[in-house]
Amino acid sequence: MNKIYQNNILRNIQKYIPIILLFISVLNEFDFNDFGLIYFSFNFSYILIFYYSLKKSESLGYIYIFIAGLINDIVVGIPIGISSLMYLILCGAAAYLRNITLRPSLIKDSIFFLITILIINSLLFMFLNFVFDYELNYFDQIINISYTFFLYFLFAKLFDFLEKNILGNRHAG
Amino acid sequence: METSRDDFVIALRSAFLKKGTQQRFSLLSLIFFSIILLILGSFNFKAINYVKVAIKEIVYRSSFIVSGPENFLKNNYLIASNHFKLYEENKKIITELNYLRGKDLSQKINILENIKYKKLIDDYFIGENETFAKVLIDKQSPFLRSIIINKGSKNNIKLGMVVLDEGYLIGKIVEVNFFTSRVLLISDINSKIPVSLQPGDTQAIMSGKDKQEGVLQYVRDKNLPEINEEIQVLTSGAGGLFKSGIPIGTIVVDDEIFANNKEDKIVDFHRDFSQLKYVKVVSFSKEKNILDLLSKDDAETLNKEITETNQQQETLRILLEQKKIADEIRIKIQKENNFLRNERIRLKKESEFLRDKSVRLKNEILIIKKNKIENDEIEFLKMNLFYGHKCRKNMINNLYKVGTPEYRKCVLKKGLKK
Repeated sequence: MNKIYQNNILRNIQKYIPIILLFISVLNEFDFNDFGLIYFSFNFSYILIFYYSLKKSESLGYIYIFIAGLINDIVVGIPIGISSLMYLILCGAAAYLRNITLRPSLIKDSIFFLITILIINSLLFMFLNFVFDYELNYFDQIINISYTFFLYFLFAKLFDFLEKNILGNRHAG
Repeated sequence: METSRDDFVIALRSAFLKKGTQQRFSLLSLIFFSIILLILGSFNFKAINYVKVAIKEIVYRSSFIVSGPENFLKNNYLIASNHFKLYEENKKIITELNYLRGKDLSQKINILENIKYKKLIDDYFIGENETFAKVLIDKQSPFLRSIIINKGSKNNIKLGMVVLDEGYLIGKIVEVNFFTSRVLLISDINSKIPVSLQPGDTQAIMSGKDKQEGVLQYVRDKNLPEINEEIQVLTSGAGGLFKSGIPIGTIVVDDEIFANNKEDKIVDFHRDFSQLKYVKVVSFSKEKNILDLLSKDDAETLNKEITETNQQQETLRILLEQKKIADEIRIKIQKENNFLRNERIRLKKESEFLRDKSVRLKNEILIIKKNKIENDEIEFLKMNLFYGHKCRKNMINNLYKVGTPEYRKCVLKKGLKK
């Protein structure tokens, strides 16, 4: 009885790993200040949301993504609701790609991801700059987008490994 | 063509309208909800503001807890790297300390004189409502460079208050919650600070540029002093928000800037914004200065203090001179002492060598003497064998008794010869 109960707890924890990762990433906002890397920043939340919305949509609920967006807005200090909107658009794009894809391929996924984050960041830039009067640095934005795109390959492989070998989900990827 | 458009619409509809197995809301409804939230937020809708404040209080605390492991690793990394740098730093600090000790009193005089003159022109600000705060979150995103501190309206923090780190300007308060506040760092692109460049007293506006740099705007090249030394960037006090003279950073003026006539003048900040732990939040107000007996007394006290400090400086200068002379004498005596010590060691060695030599000679003489006696004895014994009967006393002659010196003399002379 005790073993069954423990197994249930473990299964629940495994099920919520993507959500836990998402909340940690928005609450923590990983940065690389300590290592003195000036031109290095990427958006881990974008990668996580896109990957899981595409490959395993039941792992991340839309409500959780919406709440994560609100938290991100507060931590970063931008108007509340804007990150939620961007995250949900990203989810929509991933869901659209999932519907039209017959044979998944990492290259095609990543190109679609690049186009989506370019659109999302442009929207974000327009909202912040024209509506809310925030000044943003183009250079920082481009660096952020580039690193997010390049690191998508790495994290996609990492999440595949996590799903297949650690969480035991044979259909992932 | 028609089929392809239908497929697109179906896929889009499925993506945005279809609810998943455990989804309570469709994507589209949540997108609309976000947009409504944004619009109401931009109009400062009261209910949204309350929700915002409540979420902020929870999120800031949670973020502090979630960042715990990262902060732990960061602190350990810093401790380790500082440990390795300790020796070099110590040497550097000792040199700097000696240099700064001399400058300390001059600076004190300057400060007192500065206060005196500022009071005279009615521009003397005093710090009021000083609060020390801990940095809860210092994540600087590409969008906004800001930090969250653990003091809010409960601790009398107000919008626009100045935030300092060890006396250096790092930002101002832009958002106040009940327990927490947000500080917009001067490295943010949205931060505009009226600054003054010293020497030269050139006025400019400084905006953030990079994690550790700011950029000067509205400053003409011809106004920059043509000197090859660091230009200090201080708050000018224009606009009345900041007190004048708070240090911000430096501009290194080199020939390249003048040669290329560069547009951007980069300010290198004194503080490292990624290492902030505790900050001071302060607001400044003008000291009420009424020209009455009290202010006159104040001025007199100030003058007295300046004179005293001048005297102290003179005493210190004399003491330093004395110390210098004493040091020189000490070094000279030390040298002499060393020379004498070496001489003593040398002489000691020499005397030991001579003593050894004399002992050796004495021993040799003794051996020679002993040998000579032995040789004489052998000679006597030899002669005694041949000539002993010629000198020995018996019944028939009246010669010498054996063993007497006369007998010995007789033997050595090969028998009795009168």
